[in-house]
Amino acid sequence: MFRHLLKLTWKRKSRNLMLSLEILLAFAIVFGVAAFAARYAQLYRMPLGFDSNDVWSVTIQAGDNGKTRFDAGVYDSLRRGLAELPEVSGIAFASFEPYAFSTYASDMRRDAKAPQVHTEMIEADDALAGVLGLNLVEGRWFSALDNGSAARPVVINRRMAEAMFPGVRAVGQQFIDGEGGKTTVAYRVVGVVDEFRAKGEFEAPVNFAFQRFEAGRHDGDIRTIVLKVKPGTARDFERRLNARLKLIRNDWAYQITPLSTGRKAMLHTRAMPLVLISVIAAFMLVMVAFGLFGALWQNTTARIPEIGLRRAIGASAAGIYRQIVLEQFMLSSIAIALGLALLVQLPLTGVFGESLNWAVFAAAAGLSMAVIYLLSLVCALYPGWRASRLSPTEALHYE
Amino acid sequence: MLRNYLLTAWKVFMRRKLFTAINLVCIVLTLVVLMVVTSLLETAFRPSGVEGRSERFLQIVMMRMDSHDGNSVSTTPLGYKLIEKFLKPMPGVERVAAATLPSGAAVYQGERVSEMQMRRVDADYWKILDFTLLAGRLPNAADDAAGRMIAVLNATTAQRLFPGQPAAAVGQHIDVGGQNFEVVGVVEDAMHVNAFADIWAPISTFASSDYRNELTGMFVALILAERSADLPRIQRQVEQIAKGVVQADPKKWKTTRFWADSKLDLFARMTVGGNEKLDSGAGLLLALIAAAMLLFMLLPALNLVNLNTGRIMERRVEIGVRKAFGATSSQLALQLVVENVLLCLAGGLIALAATAGLLAWLEHIQLINYMRYDLSLAVFGWGMLIATVFGLLSGVLPAWKMSRLDPVHALKGAA
Repeated sequence: MFRHLLKLTWKRKSRNLMLSLEILLAFAIVFGVAAFAARYAQLYRMPLGFDSNDVWSVTIQAGDNGKTRFDAGVYDSLRRGLAELPEVSGIAFASFEPYAFSTYASDMRRDAKAPQVHTEMIEADDALAGVLGLNLVEGRWFSALDNGSAARPVVINRRMAEAMFPGVRAVGQQFIDGEGGKTTVAYRVVGVVDEFRAKGEFEAPVNFAFQRFEAGRHDGDIRTIVLKVKPGTARDFERRLNARLKLIRNDWAYQITPLSTGRKAMLHTRAMPLVLISVIAAFMLVMVAFGLFGALWQNTTARIPEIGLRRAIGASAAGIYRQIVLEQFMLSSIAIALGLALLVQLPLTGVFGESLNWAVFAAAAGLSMAVIYLLSLVCALYPGWRASRLSPTEALHYE
Repeated sequence: MLRNYLLTAWKVFMRRKLFTAINLVCIVLTLVVLMVVTSLLETAFRPSGVEGRSERFLQIVMMRMDSHDGNSVSTTPLGYKLIEKFLKPMPGVERVAAATLPSGAAVYQGERVSEMQMRRVDADYWKILDFTLLAGRLPNAADDAAGRMIAVLNATTAQRLFPGQPAAAVGQHIDVGGQNFEVVGVVEDAMHVNAFADIWAPISTFASSDYRNELTGMFVALILAERSADLPRIQRQVEQIAKGVVQADPKKWKTTRFWADSKLDLFARMTVGGNEKLDSGAGLLLALIAAAMLLFMLLPALNLVNLNTGRIMERRVEIGVRKAFGATSSQLALQLVVENVLLCLAGGLIALAATAGLLAWLEHIQLINYMRYDLSLAVFGWGMLIATVFGLLSGVLPAWKMSRLDPVHALKGAA
C-alpha cells in the first residue's frame, strides 16, 4: 500500500514538488509563530523574583540632567516626609523600578583573566529587598554593616552566581568590572536572590546584580523612589503623594506610576509583535488552505480516468477516498520531515541561544505539525469525497 | 490582440467560477496585508496633515558624544542651550524650534488621575507644524517670554477632561503634576513623530530654569528650511555646527556629533544606520523593506503557481490547438502571464477596497492612538505595482511550463 502510494507520488514529482514546497514554507511559518508563542508561555510560568502588588514608583525629574549630586540629607528628608503618609508602608530607592524600559548592563569578571559575564544591574538602597519582597537564598541584603566597605557590596541572582562562581559558594567572593583597562571597581557578594527578572514575565532570565548605593560615594544618584503601599490604596493616592513630594522639594517634577500600570505597558509592548505576526500568519494559513484545496480539487479532476479505472477493476469508494487523503498525508509528511530536518539545525547550532531550547522546539514542532496535518486533512476531505463518489462508467467516459 | 487575450481570459475565468474565486481570495488576502503595510509607511513618511511641511523640515533628535580614548559613548537628546546658542542663529533657514520628547504626566482633577503624554514646546514649534486649531489660540512668543502657565490640549484629551465641545475646555484650569495650567487652545488629534502628544505647554513653564544652561537634556530641534532643495546644505551646516560644540566637560568628551534628519532618515538611523555618520542608511532600510515584501510574497506566489499549473492542465486542448496552428511558445507564455497579471490587478482593486475597510476599522479601535490613515492615490499606485509584481512572480513558472507542452500530446490529452 505504502510503496504503491510512493510510486504514484513519484510519478507526478514535478507537480508534487511545488505542493510540498508550499507546505514546507507554511510549516516553517507556523513553526516560527509557534516557537515564539511557546517561548513566551515558558517564560510566563518562570518565577519573577519580586512582588509588584501594591508597589508604586516615583521618578524624580530634577531638571538638571543628572549633573548635581543629592546628598544623604536629601534622601533622608524624602524618607521622613513620605513615611508620614498613612498609606505608605515601605520606602526604598533604586536607579530605576521593575518594569521600567531602562537597562543598565556591564561585563563583569572574576579576575583579570576570567571570561566576561554580561550582567544587568541596578543600584539600590538597604530597603529595596523588603519593598519588592525579594527572596534571598544565601547571605543577606545590604545593611549599615556595609558602610565604608572598600569593595562595593552586591547582591546577585542565582543565575549569575552559577555563571561567575561555578561550584563555589558565591557569598563573600569578589569580582571586578570587566570594561576598560585601568580603573576597575571591585564588588563583593553579600547575598544571592533566587531570581530577578526586572522587565517582567516575558523577559528571558538574565544575570542580575544589585549594587549597594551609598549617598555621595558614587558617580551618579539613584532617583527612583519605590514605595510599598497598604493593600487597597486607590489611584487617587497619587494626588496626595504628589502634593507631599512638592512640599519636600518644590522645584522638582515627579512621575508617579503604580507598578501595575508599568506591568501592563511592558506586557503589552512585549506581546504586540507576537499578536502582529500571528495575525499575518493566520492570513497566510487561510490562503494556503484555499490554495491546497484548489490544487487538490484540480488534481483529482485531472485523475478522473485513473480513478475510473481503479473503480472499474474493483476498488471500493472508501478505498479511493483513503487513497486521496493518504496521498495528501504523505505529501505533508515529506514536507514536514524536510522542514524539521532544516529547523532542527536552529537549536543544534544554537543561533537563538536559550530562546529556542529543546522544550520550546518540541512544543513548536508538535504544534505546527498538528496544524499542518489538520490543514491538509481538511483540504483533502472534500476533493477525496468527490472523487470517491464518481461512478466508474462516468469516470471512464470523462473527456 | 490584447482584446483577444482579454476575451479568452474572461471566458476562462467564467468557465470555472469556483477556481477563479479561490484564486481571487488568495490574491486579495496577500495584497491586503501588503497594502496595509504600504499605507502605514505612506502615512508615516509622506508629508501630510500636521506634518504637511515635512519635505522641508529636518529634525535633530539625538546627540552622540565620544570620549578621548573612544571607549565611552553617550547618546542623549539635545540641551536647550545647544539649540538656542548654536542652532537658532543658523543662517539660511526659515525657523528653528525646540520641543521636548513626550513624557508621561499625571493630570489631577479632584479625585481623578489621568495619565497623559506631555510635551513642552516653544512658539516656533506651532509655526512649523500645521495643527488644526479647534478652539482658543496657540501659544506665541510673548507667552514664552512671560513664562505664562498655559497649555494646549488635543481634542480627545479635551473631551476626556472636560466633556462637551472643544470650546468648553478653553479657559479651564488643569493640575499637571502639581503645576497649574490654564487651557488656552484645543487642537485636532495628530499622530506623527513630532506632533504626537496629549498636552503641550511652553518650555518656560518648567519649575526650574536650569534647562537654559544645559548642552545635553531632553530636547529635539526642528529646522524648517525655506525650500526643500536647501535640505542637503542644512545637513552639512549642522554637521559643521556639531564639530564646533564644546561640551561642558571637554576633558571627558572629545567629539560631539548630531545629524539633521528627514523623517525617513530618522527612522533609518534608529533601526539600521547608527549615529556615527551623516548617511542614515535610508537606502539600506528601503531595500530591506522591499526584500521583506518580496519574501512575504513567496508563499502566496507558490500557492498561485500550484493553482495555475492545475488550470493549464485543464486547458491543454486549447493550448494544443493554438500550437498546432502556429502560435509560438513565447506568445503562449505571454498570454498566460497577461491573464495572471490581469487577475492580480482585479484582485488588487478588491484588495484596495478591503484595505480601506480594514484601515477604517483600525482607526476605529485606535490600535495606535490618534492614528489617521488615508488611502491616497500614492497607495493606490503602490498597490497596483505590488499586484503586478505578484502577478509576474506567480505567472512566469506555469507559463513556462505551459509553453513547453508538446502539441501532439496536448491534443491527445496525455500530458
